[in-house]
Amino acid sequence: MKSSYNSHIKRIVLGLVVFAVLGFVGKIVMMPKSFGKYGPYRADAIDEEANREIRHGTNASCLSCHPHEANIHLAGLHKTISCEFCHGPYADHIKDGKVYGKLPVKTKEEIKVLCLRCHNKAIQARPGEVIKTIVMPEHLESQKVKVSHTCDQCHQVHAPLKYINRAKEITGIKEKS
Amino acid sequence: MGKPDAELDKERRAFIKKVLNGAIAGSLLLVIPMPIGAATEEIPEQIPGIRGEKWDMFNQRFAFIVDITRCIGCGSCCVADRREYNVPEGYYRTWVERYLKDFESEVYVDSPHGGLDGYQSPRTDIEVEVRDTFFVPKLCNMCKEPPCVQVCPVGATFKTPDGFVLMDPKRCVGCAYCIQACPYSSRFLNPNTRTAEKCTWCYHRVRKGLLPICVNVCPTGARKFGDLNDKNSEVYKLLHEHEVLTVLKKDMGTYPALYYKGLRREVV
Repeated sequence: MKSSYNSHIKRIVLGLVVFAVLGFVGKIVMMPKSFGKYGPYRADAIDEEANREIRHGTNASCLSCHPHEANIHLAGLHKTISCEFCHGPYADHIKDGKVYGKLPVKTKEEIKVLCLRCHNKAIQARPGEVIKTIVMPEHLESQKVKVSHTCDQCHQVHAPLKYINRAKEITGIKEKS
Repeated sequence: MGKPDAELDKERRAFIKKVLNGAIAGSLLLVIPMPIGAATEEIPEQIPGIRGEKWDMFNQRFAFIVDITRCIGCGSCCVADRREYNVPEGYYRTWVERYLKDFESEVYVDSPHGGLDGYQSPRTDIEVEVRDTFFVPKLCNMCKEPPCVQVCPVGATFKTPDGFVLMDPKRCVGCAYCIQACPYSSRFLNPNTRTAEKCTWCYHRVRKGLLPICVNVCPTGARKFGDLNDKNSEVYKLLHEHEVLTVLKKDMGTYPALYYKGLRREVV
């Protein structure tokens, strides 16, 4: 009689043990390896993110191979502008230390659009102490050039006042600021 | 008489050999393409004290400061960010908003294409006299108490011990719960991978001593990033000076690590 009394308890205990073992094995099998190292997430994901491909370099990485541009760019007012903003990311140009692709060269109208991204005075949110702004086409008219002129016809894009200052030096004309 | 001659000959031979070796090696250097372009390790580091050191997961403090008074809304940051991460069209890890105020202090906000094309023309769709305009760049706030992490059911987004809120695309099931939880709308569901994505403050660049790409390309220095453990860093100095620095949605209790300099009350 006694044994039959215990049998259902045994079944329950056995069931619980089987459940616990299955759960434990399931947890080991299904949980990612580094899960829980720092918290309830996969710690390896941090390293994976840290090893993501770097697509942009810095200006230093561009100018190390382009000394001519470096001389002009670093001497001008545009020295804080990123090369890669106008020309495209480093990774599209260099791969494993070799030239991999050619970055597109901007021309006439594209240059004008790029210039006016920053230098358009019509946007009333550009403080004068941060950036010099102009209004088109009034700027062209006041400088007495054709309205069809693009910015790079007077301004060296890498050092905007390079030609202008040189011209002033040669002619000796002092322009009103 | 014969001996010194032979010695001279020997010396001469050795000399010619040396010269020839040098010339051949030199010409080979010209012929064999040397690897050009600096590898990541050769790019001068922008955040001092990271390279060559072991990354201490538990002792890092970084801060991001956006200077509203210097932002000119050129959209360089948005363009660079898109290229760095190949963000799909119509989604933004970072974006620039334009705020307009009229004389009744009515506020008008727009952000065409997330500021990606820059702000090329004034707003024409409103018929008010504009008193004041300014730009506000937005990105992940890297909250100390991130709501997105709290709601993630699978542990796919997390706050690392070094203070970054990151995504694990391998675990994300795309439930978009975090997108609803983020008070700053800085998350989106990538339509290609069907996983949530967010700004990481360019964690991969920072770990290699480089600035986040938006900071690197900003022409006016409106975006600043730095190490708060480094007392010489610009952000440390700004945070310890008498500057007007505020965070977005303070009342949400998220404690962002992103500060705004010169932020105005209208900005939400």
